[in-house]
Amino acid sequence: MADQVSAVVVDDHPAVRAGVAYWLSSGEPPIEVVADGEDVRVAWLDAGADADVVILDLHLGGPTPVLGDLRRLVEAGRRVVVYSMRADDEIALQCLELGALCYLTKAEGAEHLVQATRAAAEGRPYTPPALAGALAGDRSEARPALSTRETEVLIEWFQSESKDFVARRLGISVSTVNSHLERIRIKYALIGREAPTKAALVARAIQDGLIGVDDL
Amino acid sequence: MAGVTDHQTAAGQVFASIRLVLLGVVAVLQFGLSLPPLLSHPHGPGAWVAFGVLALATLVCAVWVVRRRPLPAVVVGAGVAAVLGASVLATDALPPDAHFGAAHWSFGLVGWHLLVLLADRVGLLLTVSGVHLGCEVVQFVLAGTPERVEIGAAGVVVLGATSFQLGVLLLTRVLLRNARQAAEVAVEQERTATRAALAEQWAQDLRAGFAGGLGTTLPLLADLADGVLDPRDEDTRRRCAFAATQLRRLFAEHDEVPDPLLHEVAACVDVAERRGLTVSLAVGGTAVPVPTDVRRELTAPVAVALSAARERARVSLLRTDGEVRVAVIADTGAPVGAVSSRVEVRCDTYGEQTRTEARWRTR
Repeated sequence: MADQVSAVVVDDHPAVRAGVAYWLSSGEPPIEVVADGEDVRVAWLDAGADADVVILDLHLGGPTPVLGDLRRLVEAGRRVVVYSMRADDEIALQCLELGALCYLTKAEGAEHLVQATRAAAEGRPYTPPALAGALAGDRSEARPALSTRETEVLIEWFQSESKDFVARRLGISVSTVNSHLERIRIKYALIGREAPTKAALVARAIQDGLIGVDDL
Repeated sequence: MAGVTDHQTAAGQVFASIRLVLLGVVAVLQFGLSLPPLLSHPHGPGAWVAFGVLALATLVCAVWVVRRRPLPAVVVGAGVAAVLGASVLATDALPPDAHFGAAHWSFGLVGWHLLVLLADRVGLLLTVSGVHLGCEVVQFVLAGTPERVEIGAAGVVVLGATSFQLGVLLLTRVLLRNARQAAEVAVEQERTATRAALAEQWAQDLRAGFAGGLGTTLPLLADLADGVLDPRDEDTRRRCAFAATQLRRLFAEHDEVPDPLLHEVAACVDVAERRGLTVSLAVGGTAVPVPTDVRRELTAPVAVALSAARERARVSLLRTDGEVRVAVIADTGAPVGAVSSRVEVRCDTYGEQTRTEARWRTR
């Protein structure tokens, strides 16, 4: 199947790898896990090197997050979904800065993982609620200016975990909620260091008409 | 000696008064006791110059002493030099064989002058007084070899005058020390009183806080015990859940933790989970300082909303650039209103879900 999404899972716990593979394969349509391993090498070799999406655990056997590996993967043009045990706002923002398409905590369920992987395969960002909280709580100097509506969407999504709920509360459609979230991520992609995934994300957004060239 | 020279302190005030009295003594002595012998005995012309210099020294000192200001070092230095010079001049102008006698008007007076000038510099005062005495003795000896009787009489005069002045100096020091001690004791007493008042206030706040929490709990327990309330009743269970959450939050309020607001919200979540609720707690943004009473107002809606929830709830705590927002999205809600204008509380229902949110603007 040409359009089936493939993924490689890097995690130091076999049970997590198996669980992630199961969740992804039970998605509709299913996502195939072509390789998995406890070391980031698996994403560079054989089948893993051709996988559409890399699902990367940030803590591989050590206390230090493997941000260097993330950077190298992104620089090679790989689409990475960071899957971490820790809900650390600062690390999450750092991963986005490096060019990860999503930062997902393991507390967040199967649905978010499947959606994040599918979005990443298309080169799109995915913002799960915890990441929305990190973006809303971002007090750094370099943070991009968000519109009032964008901030509202971000906060409501973080608070409710339900796009239906956000849409109903704000009187907009779910797809508008999604495009607001995507625009926020594009604003973040436009700041800080450059990365192929970030450039692709912006190019994609222009193509989709989500932002105009004048907005850059 | 900072306490002595500093006219602000109590000891400084006492010293300023003592100096004023000493200045008065000098003025009275000069015109009451020294002027008559100067008039009645044949002195040389230098005596009147010396008298004028001493009178001038008194006047100049009065400029600061009367205003209760410490004497500037320059004035003290010049004063000491002038007074010693005047002393030498006056002794030189004495009639023959009048040293340390009734006609020697300047000897005692100069001692008092030095006392006024140097009362706060004891070491220097003793040295300068020694120099003064030395000069007098040298002049006494140079004026002609004294006889034994004369030496004896002079000794008595010197002893009488200096011991009286030393006595006054000693008295001054004792008074000053007592004043300083009294000031210290007063400050300490004040501090103790403040501490006691603070402790009392703290205890009162604590009692009030517990009373606030127990205010709803005690009648509830009493009604349950009396059988007035039925534990099977939905409303009773909700009230019990609320009381339990309130108490748990109140206990958490006094814990020493880096992020007190999160700690209190987590305490509310903990009680709800014990009740069998599925609660997810999400935190966004880093901790900001929130005053205790604002925390109370922020967490109170959480307690109400969680005690009303039936099965699941999502609690979120968000700290953005300008505000702190605590929200509960639950399957059932209970109306909550704002307690004060500082914390804005909103409660909306959308289909099955009820959203309760408390917002506090940090700026």
